[in-house]
Amino acid sequence: MQYREYPPLSEPPAHVPSELIRDVDIFNLPGAKDGVHAAWKRLQTEMPPVFWTPRNGGYWMAVRAKEILEIQNDAVTYSMRASLVPRNPRPYPAPPMDFDPPEHTPWRILISPAFSPKVVAEVEDMARQTAVALIESFVPRGEVEFVSEFTKVLPIVVFLTMMHLPPEDREQLLPFADAIVKSPHPTKIHEARLGLKAYIERAVADRRANPRDDLITKILNSKVAGQPVDEAHAVGMLTLLLSGGLDTVKNLLGFCALFLATHPEHVRQLVNKPELIPHAAEELLRRHGVSNTARLVTKDAVLAGVELKEGDQIQQFSGLVGLDSETVSDPMTVDFSRPAPIPHATFGNGPHRCPGSILAKRELLLWLEEWLKRIPEFRVKPGTVPQQDAGMVNNVSELWLSWDLRS
Amino acid sequence: MAQITFIEANGQRKVVKANVGESVMRAALDNGVEGIAAECGGCLSCATCHAYVDPDWADKIPAPSEEERVMVECAIDVRPTSRLTCQLLVTDELDGLVIEIPTSQY
Repeated sequence: MQYREYPPLSEPPAHVPSELIRDVDIFNLPGAKDGVHAAWKRLQTEMPPVFWTPRNGGYWMAVRAKEILEIQNDAVTYSMRASLVPRNPRPYPAPPMDFDPPEHTPWRILISPAFSPKVVAEVEDMARQTAVALIESFVPRGEVEFVSEFTKVLPIVVFLTMMHLPPEDREQLLPFADAIVKSPHPTKIHEARLGLKAYIERAVADRRANPRDDLITKILNSKVAGQPVDEAHAVGMLTLLLSGGLDTVKNLLGFCALFLATHPEHVRQLVNKPELIPHAAEELLRRHGVSNTARLVTKDAVLAGVELKEGDQIQQFSGLVGLDSETVSDPMTVDFSRPAPIPHATFGNGPHRCPGSILAKRELLLWLEEWLKRIPEFRVKPGTVPQQDAGMVNNVSELWLSWDLRS
Repeated sequence: MAQITFIEANGQRKVVKANVGESVMRAALDNGVEGIAAECGGCLSCATCHAYVDPDWADKIPAPSEEERVMVECAIDVRPTSRLTCQLLVTDELDGLVIEIPTSQY
């Protein structure tokens, strides 16, 4: 599928008032390399609630909790059919994400059970063993590049195991995962998605020939709206699941590790009181949102007094809901003593809410538990600079951590 | 208004006045009932608002939809009267309903 390149600056359509135009490029966000979330937060405090950027094809941005939640909860007016910036279709049909309710529902019901509390509880032991083995492999070294040796590996192994695919296939998938995380350029990410798709195509062909008791076979044998699921949709949905859990979990873990490496007093709280970890994980999730999906405006609408036209694209940064002082007080501060429930929209809301949220949270929790048991004090390795940036998914592409070896 | 009694996992009973038309999940959350996570906010995709309907009430409430049947099986410690409380809408007929909250949603 042809990938569409956009000019550096697009001419705004006639209905966009000039006073609402701001030159914001999410792939070159000022200050993001020093702190992604602080950079997004500046947009929230300095920009109008809804404004137009001429970058990446030209589209609206919503940066405050109220409008972001309005977008997330109205999946018909704000469709996910144009979720990528710059606007390009995914290189495969991607149910349930790209489908609007009510067509969305039967697809969602196909995959939601695969990431349910019951299934996550079943895979927890495997995920924990994987995490422990990875951590113990580098503990004696006193340092690690956390992204390449941990965050990149754990979600792939968990996904492959859940799909009953060989864990050793991670070797073929890691380069794609790497490109998705490390490449600032959307075309490279596009190519990597095609690589993941080719892998899934082979897996689907195998299950077609050798059915098993697993999710891939189940999807292939399912009907949606009375029609058997065709190969293209099965491949697309599974590729979406694979890619959806890679860079998101990876970057979430990266941001949380970076935060803890630079906030020893927070680490001490968790080491001294491990029972705090589930609540602390929720607070870390609030403060370190990763996904910045966009929407297609399907009918003329008014948002924060701004007139949007059918066919416009609007991007919402889910993480900004939890960083809005309308949501919590002193939002940029990580405070493990905030009262529960800690409000945030890191996983989105409404029908398209992240289906893997329970799994993602479990991966964060078990990482915290197993890491802190073995590495109760750690820091950013002196002389290194953590690499972080904004994008469709906020990312940590390199993070060297070090700790003192116990004698 | 309908009166709903929630029995939390620790045995504590919370009696709640629920508004007709809202979900039992919403009534629990808004009245500080412990043990309902409701991760997805009521769109039938997470199975973390799972609870047990008192057996005496099981036949008096509307049957689950096919989608709810699929999703309730995803919860932990499912019993014959398990329901997803986001799908149970409060009606006048539910006055006196008793709901037991499971030990954990995860």
